[in-house]
Amino acid sequence: MCTLTHRHAIHCILPPYILSRIAEHGSPELRGKAIRALLVDPSIRMVRATTAGPVIGSVARLRSAAGNVLTPSPLRTIRDAKGKPEAPGATVVRREGEAPTGDPAVDEAYDGLGATFALYWEAYQRDSIDDAGLPLDATVHYDQDYDNAFWDGTQMVFGDGDGELFNRFTLALDVIGHELTHGVTEREAGLAYFNQSGALNESISDVFGSLVKQKALGQDAAAADWLIGEGLFTPKVKGSALRSMKAPGTAYDDPVLGKDPQPAHMDDFVRTNQDNGGVHINSGIPNRAFYLAATAIGGNAWDRAGTIWYNALLDPNVRANTDFAGFARVTVDVAGRLYGAGSADATAVGAAWSDVGVS
Amino acid sequence: MTDEAGCGGEARMRVDGGFAHLPGRASDSCVPLERLPGDERAELTRLADAAGFFDCAPEPAVARPDARTYTIGLTIDGRSRDLQVAEPIRDPALAALVSTVRRITRERGGV
Ligand SMILES: [Zn+2]
Ligand SMILES: [Zn+2]
Repeated sequence: MCTLTHRHAIHCILPPYILSRIAEHGSPELRGKAIRALLVDPSIRMVRATTAGPVIGSVARLRSAAGNVLTPSPLRTIRDAKGKPEAPGATVVRREGEAPTGDPAVDEAYDGLGATFALYWEAYQRDSIDDAGLPLDATVHYDQDYDNAFWDGTQMVFGDGDGELFNRFTLALDVIGHELTHGVTEREAGLAYFNQSGALNESISDVFGSLVKQKALGQDAAAADWLIGEGLFTPKVKGSALRSMKAPGTAYDDPVLGKDPQPAHMDDFVRTNQDNGGVHINSGIPNRAFYLAATAIGGNAWDRAGTIWYNALLDPNVRANTDFAGFARVTVDVAGRLYGAGSADATAVGAAWSDVGVS
Repeated sequence: MTDEAGCGGEARMRVDGGFAHLPGRASDSCVPLERLPGDERAELTRLADAAGFFDCAPEPAVARPDARTYTIGLTIDGRSRDLQVAEPIRDPALAALVSTVRRITRERGGV
């Protein structure tokens, strides 16, 4: 018989929330190991070194400003894992400038990387993920019945879905923008991927993932649906998308999957050990703050609201352990610096955060 | 780790996190090995040995954004272990083992 209660307490690879727990409560020997593991991980930088990525970024920005470089363009490579759990996949199937292959996963990944590059360059003059022209690599057809997409630090990895509940993950353009934005966040604020800083990290990816899609479709803040992952669910699922930035908690309600657990307000903040401390759950709160700010400001969300959020992400006051309130303060400061302290934009940003209970 | 005598061999899997993390689906799945045909059981043992599953050294690491964490458990021939493995799984043998246990528990799972 299967008895799921027995657990053999050896762990090869520990997620950060477990490491933090050991660091706080473990035996002295275990605590030392856990603290060292947390410290060597580059995503757990408590203070960002002044010599990190942004210097490269500002050099690149100066060069662009001096006008002595051509307009940057993406350098994309798409590989096919052919159903194996291998990334990078063994076969290169489409390189930059090559014609569509006819394989939807390959061509959607190629186009999605291009649309994400276009948002960052055209709206924020950022040259790729590292602002220094990093080549964009993706692997498609990863593993079998694989319901996921992720940024592994060097490339995008896309599954085809199980066909039962999920379609292929390249179908949703905002998912591609979401994943590449994790690369941007890693190089800028370095928000640690657990608890509130992790939910903020997730929200930043939803914000810019949605902006990639809105810009590609030419939709302003009022016209956008503000859904994340629309098209990922098969028709068997009762739901429109995975998340809703406009109305967190309402994206799906299905007999098999359950109900969308996202809170829309700090009063409903979820404490959990799952999902790195609920990073995909509590992201609903800052997601709705962005939606409220962008619709109050009006026009294209990637213009003023997106510029405020982007500059907040680059601000030295946003670090690995920044929480919702810390990020909120920086967005209000940035809005004041960019558009004036008493401007309608700065007021809209402050009101958006207080509407979701963050102050 | 109380009842190894009642543990006639099994494969266990829990998937956590990921871009499409759905709390309602993050439940443990478990398959008694006697439900598997002999050749699949032999393949599972071969994959576990190839990955050094029962004696790999602990290697703390931090889960990446939207990467999933797998809690994979195997009890085979008196050997038993549960490990947490976070994506990206760079070791091809361990990646193959995780993929296979995920498939077995999905197709034949149930508590
Ligand atoms: Zn056991
Ligand atoms: Zn994410």
